[in-house]
Amino acid sequence: MSENARNRLLLALSIVMAAIYLFPLYWMYVTALKSGSEMFATPPSFWPSAAQWSTFAYVWESRNMGRYLWNSTVIAFGAVALIAILGTGCAYVLARYRNIWVDVGLFLILMFQVLPASLMITPIFVGFSQLGLLEYPRLAVILAITAKSMPFFVVLVRATFMAVPMELEEAALVDGNSRIGAFFNIVLPLARNGILVSAILIFMQAFGEFVYSKSMIQDIQFQPASVGLNSFMGPNTSEWNNIMAYATMYVTPILAIFVLLQRRIVSGLTSGALK
Amino acid sequence: MGIRRTMISVALALASASLAGMSAKAEDVKLVLWSLDRDIQPAPNLVKEFNAQKNGIQIEYRQLQFDDVVSEAMRAYSTGKAPDIITIDNPNHAMFASRKAFLDLTDMIGQSKVIKPENYFPGPLKSVTWDEKYYGVPKATNTIALYYNKDLFKAAGLDPEKPPQTWTELVATAKKLTNPSKNIYGITFSAKANEEGTFQFLPWAQMGGATYKTINSEGAVKALSVWKQMLDEKLASPDTLTRSQWDSTATFNAGNAAMAISGPWEIDRMLKDAKFQWGTALLPVPSEGAQRSSAMGDFNWAIFSSTKHPKEAFKALEFFASKDVTMYKDFGQLPARSDLPVPPTGNALKDSALATFVEQLKYAQPRGPSPEWPKISKAIQDAIQASLTGQTEPKAALDQAAARIKSIGG
Amino acid sequence: MKRLFSSITDGRGFDLVLVGVPFTFLLALSGLPLAYNILMSFQEVDMFSLGSVIRPFVGFKNYVDLLTQPETMSILRNTIVFVVGSITGQFLVGFALALFFWINFPGASWLRGLFLVSWVMPGLVVGAIWNWILSGDFGVLNFLLQQTGLLNGNIFWRSDPNFSLWAVILANIWLGTSFNMILLATGLAAIPADLYEAAEMDGANAWQRFWTITLPMMRSTIGAIIALGLIFTLQQFDLFAAITDGGPNNSSNVAQYWAWDLSFRQYDFGKGATISVIMTVFVMFAATVYVRSTRHEVRG
Repeated sequence: MSENARNRLLLALSIVMAAIYLFPLYWMYVTALKSGSEMFATPPSFWPSAAQWSTFAYVWESRNMGRYLWNSTVIAFGAVALIAILGTGCAYVLARYRNIWVDVGLFLILMFQVLPASLMITPIFVGFSQLGLLEYPRLAVILAITAKSMPFFVVLVRATFMAVPMELEEAALVDGNSRIGAFFNIVLPLARNGILVSAILIFMQAFGEFVYSKSMIQDIQFQPASVGLNSFMGPNTSEWNNIMAYATMYVTPILAIFVLLQRRIVSGLTSGALK
Repeated sequence: MGIRRTMISVALALASASLAGMSAKAEDVKLVLWSLDRDIQPAPNLVKEFNAQKNGIQIEYRQLQFDDVVSEAMRAYSTGKAPDIITIDNPNHAMFASRKAFLDLTDMIGQSKVIKPENYFPGPLKSVTWDEKYYGVPKATNTIALYYNKDLFKAAGLDPEKPPQTWTELVATAKKLTNPSKNIYGITFSAKANEEGTFQFLPWAQMGGATYKTINSEGAVKALSVWKQMLDEKLASPDTLTRSQWDSTATFNAGNAAMAISGPWEIDRMLKDAKFQWGTALLPVPSEGAQRSSAMGDFNWAIFSSTKHPKEAFKALEFFASKDVTMYKDFGQLPARSDLPVPPTGNALKDSALATFVEQLKYAQPRGPSPEWPKISKAIQDAIQASLTGQTEPKAALDQAAARIKSIGG
Repeated sequence: MKRLFSSITDGRGFDLVLVGVPFTFLLALSGLPLAYNILMSFQEVDMFSLGSVIRPFVGFKNYVDLLTQPETMSILRNTIVFVVGSITGQFLVGFALALFFWINFPGASWLRGLFLVSWVMPGLVVGAIWNWILSGDFGVLNFLLQQTGLLNGNIFWRSDPNFSLWAVILANIWLGTSFNMILLATGLAAIPADLYEAAEMDGANAWQRFWTITLPMMRSTIGAIIALGLIFTLQQFDLFAAITDGGPNNSSNVAQYWAWDLSFRQYDFGKGATISVIMTVFVMFAATVYVRSTRHEVRG
């Protein structure tokens, strides 16, 4: 088989696999465009007979989605910033040494994220309310997400630092750099890609966070889109076209960013930045 | 000196004016109200009307999910963040009242010109009562009855004016109406593993002569067996086990089920969505002439005992109660009042449905009251689910539930 | 003072600050809640005593009660099935995809990127989509299976006790594949190419090369993935809430959902906390596996 035919075969194969894998996403978009009766038709149609674009405007208006998405963005940016500041240094130190304390540290970090948010929420809620943090609900959620997602960030970024040759840092120290100088001038720039990619992944997760926001943000003004989706879905899981229209508007922005950045993300992840 | 003096006095005047303006605003008492009502249901609209009065009390509204009402409320209460007013599902009322989390309203009701206990139906009133004191005001009441699709009745050769009267007839009718090739089930209801399942099952058990304390009596076992038969023979969708009442009735509205068991909260949506002739009937009974029964549903108003403004909160409840008159017309919900004949709405279909539900309400019994209701209800749900999935026989499942309810001390 | 400052900028102190601050943060926001849960598991807690720490102490009563409850065994079994099923599925599909895209062909990196989209999907949205796909009477999965002749008659994925757990596992595999694939791909990319060239010259075929080079070189990656996968799977909550609610009849109930159900549906916080403590023990095991797997890491 020639190189060319092989490539084409592999390409076709991967497109078929991607189509299967992405079907749920496709189904979301198609359902959003169907009318109420077409949605429940048997056999289901795989292409909307008359696309109902007005559903989007209707859902956007009636659910006030602009506000929800803005809150999701604020929360996600806040959490990522805090995680990156706290987590990067931690990952660096855990990668730099190899001793029993590092083992203990790694072990603790994993233990800290053992329980699902649905079980952590009660103690966190009680604690935050005693500290008065619930007066600033979005900040409270940002702190909770930070605690939740930082361990994962540390694990990813630690692997990035592992890929930075120790000799470079040592050389910088010999050249008269302080530890701080070596960290900011040599190590951090080399690990930049991996940190960025990990931060993007954390951002995407924080954008969809649900349990904490639901319990801690009572004022609808500050609720993110996940809570909005839940209060929309709650009583009526029969309006699937509207729900899917909501979901579409919720995930399409992050999907778009992701697709735009995906070359960078994938190369950042696979070029050995992470392992 | 002249200019300077003028400027100072102007500045002072401005400052005091703005101070006055601010303090006038600060005088408004702010209340927080939580409820699960959506935009087309009473609570948010009543709040809007109340706020529009500008009587120095402003209410802030927050919508909750059905499943979250109790957990959010108790978490907020135990950390001192409770709202002032809440609407609570009537079987859960006792749990809060027995722990004095709700405010005892007995004295305020005694002096009120608007809220008078004798004006309420005994069932709803019993649900707000704990230890002979009133801990709330019934907000609305409802119960379940049978909806049926007249067009599908005709198509199956059945008389659309003769809905089934007994359990046997119900099963037979459902059998005739079921048409898998057209994706039509004979009946839809909800056996979901939450309070809704209990709410739907209790009337059947009670018609069979059981109460929640004797949930394993013969009549209840028969009721559960009928449910099981309907699921086993695919007269109802297997998704009955996981679908809420609202979702189940949606399949009726879409023409995928020929009968539905649900409450009056469906009427407004059905008028809009159902593109066929439909009617309502009382819940079928075990055999002809048997005692009727039904479960009493819907929410109560309550004031948390932690509120800083009990008087203002009660004033709000009085305002809400004064709007009971138009509740059915505006929202399709039934006030829990015996002194208010619900006026006709002018919509024949809506009025005839109303007649059915008002009749059915006469047989409605409250769930509990017991402070342990969530656990009792859970035992019943587990029995329903265990037998409908075929993992336990109805009798054994209900025996287990009865044992659990006894150990809870319900 | 000066020594302290110089230590922070240029010595041990630098490391201690970098590690100390985040650890203090985590200790306060994750460690304390964990301890609170352990405390609650020995107490009788109801909704009204949530805010206080002093509550009736009941010793091991919560543990004993739980172990004697009839549904406990089946829920624990479900948890194991869910964890093993999800991790196996995610790992196999993820590994297969990673290997496939490891072959260099035009468009490979672009297409591989598409497989990452499930990563960015909020769990709640994924749950909603799968709930709709899996629905019994109108679900598209049933339709597709019938069209391809694999099935006659609908499967009620969410309501049939034989399938409900697998419905959630299916959705969870979809959700977790991207994570497995990308981490495995990075592990593959890190294997030096000359190892393969040498093996090829020694006459090893593809199968042998996979077993003698790929797998051993991937040991630390695989260890990390399985440990993290275990933690993520034990945390999966949104999918249960969105698809089956743990039902019917607990047939798809797992420990993490049950703990929530006990706490927030039956208001028995003591028992809910007890389950979370039992789960913590499981995760301790996973964390140990992960830490051990880092022993094989090669510093670049």
